[in-house]
Amino acid sequence: MKFLHKLRHLFIPHESNNHKAKILHNSSLSILIFFFVLYQALLSFFPRFGPKILGYAANISPDEVIRLTNEKRAEAGVGPVSVNATLSAAAQAKGADMLNKDYWAHVAPDGTQPWFFFTSFAYKYRYAGENLARDFSDPTSAVNAWMASPSHKENMLSSKYKEIGVAVVEGDMAGVDTTLIVQFFGTNLVDTLPETPIAQVQAAVPSLTPIPTSAPAVVLTVTSIPTPTVTNIIVAAPPAATTTSPQILISPFNTTRGISLAVILVLLSIMIIDVVVNIRRKTFRLGGRTLAHIAFLGMILIIVLIARAGKIL
Amino acid sequence: MNHWTKHLPHYLSLLGILFAGGFGIILFGFDKLLQTALAIGVAGAYVAWGVVHHFLHRDLHPIVIIEYALIALFGLSITLSIINR
Repeated sequence: MKFLHKLRHLFIPHESNNHKAKILHNSSLSILIFFFVLYQALLSFFPRFGPKILGYAANISPDEVIRLTNEKRAEAGVGPVSVNATLSAAAQAKGADMLNKDYWAHVAPDGTQPWFFFTSFAYKYRYAGENLARDFSDPTSAVNAWMASPSHKENMLSSKYKEIGVAVVEGDMAGVDTTLIVQFFGTNLVDTLPETPIAQVQAAVPSLTPIPTSAPAVVLTVTSIPTPTVTNIIVAAPPAATTTSPQILISPFNTTRGISLAVILVLLSIMIIDVVVNIRRKTFRLGGRTLAHIAFLGMILIIVLIARAGKIL
Repeated sequence: MNHWTKHLPHYLSLLGILFAGGFGIILFGFDKLLQTALAIGVAGAYVAWGVVHHFLHRDLHPIVIIEYALIALFGLSITLSIINR
C-alpha cells in the first residue's frame, strides 16, 4: 500500500505532491538532468581508462561505397570514377594515421595535410579531394550523409575527378571501437597532360588552407618532359588496435538514444496525465504550462527518433 | 473569449519556434556546429516564450522561470548528446 502511495506521489497529481507529480517538480528535474549529464560524462571519459566495451558495429565494404558513389554520379549525369589502387592505399594510410594519432580531422594535429598521402604514394594529382565518415553502420547511410552536405556532395559529383580510392579502417579512437571511411578522389596529372606538346609539371605544393576537401589544381607550363620523383613514401601503418572480434558490448549512440527515448516517453506520459487530471479537477497552481512542455519534449522526441549514428567531415 | 482562444496565438508562435528549430536540426545533420547552435537557440527561445507568456498572463514567478529553464536544459542535454554521439 505504501508503495502505491509512493508511486502516486511520483507520477500522479495529488494533495501530497501539491497537485503536480513529484517527478515534474523542479528538484526532480534537476536530479534527472544531473544524472543524464553524469551518464554522458562517463560515456566520454570511461573508455579512456576503463575496459574497451564501447564501439560502433559496422559492415562496410569499400567496393560498396564506390558502387554507391558511382550510382549517385550516374543519377546526376556525371561519368563514373574508376578505382585506383594507389588512391585506395593512400586512403588506407590516412585512416591508419587518424587511428594511430587519435584524431578526426582533414588535417592531422602535426599539420599533415590530406594531400601528403596522395603524394607519398606517388600519386601525382591534377585534382584531389577527400571525404571522411565515421561510426556509420552501413555504406548507404554514409553515402547519403555525404550527399546531404553541399561540400561533400560537390566532391562526390565533381566531373573533375576521374579516379577514386576508398578505405574502411576499424580501430580504437579515444577508447571507442570506431569504423572510419576515407574516400579519396583524384585525377592523375598524367591523364590531363596533352599528347603534344609535352608538358612539365611545375612543383605543385598544395596551399596550407585548412579543411579543404579538394586540393588546388597544379599548374602546367609547356617546356620539357617531366621527371616524376617519389619522395616520402609511407606505408599504411596498421591501426593501433584493429579489431573485428565481438567485444563491442555498448554503442554510445544507441545507449544514449535508448535512455533518452525512455526518459522522454515517461515524462511525456506523466505530463499528459497531469493535463488530464488538472483539467478534470480544475486545479489552479503556480507553474509552467504543461502543454508547452509537452510540445517542447515532443520536438526533442522527434529529433531523437530521426537521429542516426555517424559523422562526416 | 475562452482560455484556449485567448492563448492560441501564444501556442501557435511556440509551435512555430519548435517546428523551425527541430526542422533545422534535422536538416543540417551534416553540420554539428550549426546543429548545436540551433539546439541552444531553440532552448533559449523556449525559456523566452515561457517568460513572455506568463508575463502577459500575469503569473510570472521565479519558480516558473526555473521550471522552463530546467525543461529547456533537459531537452538541450538530450539533443546535444544525440548530435555529438
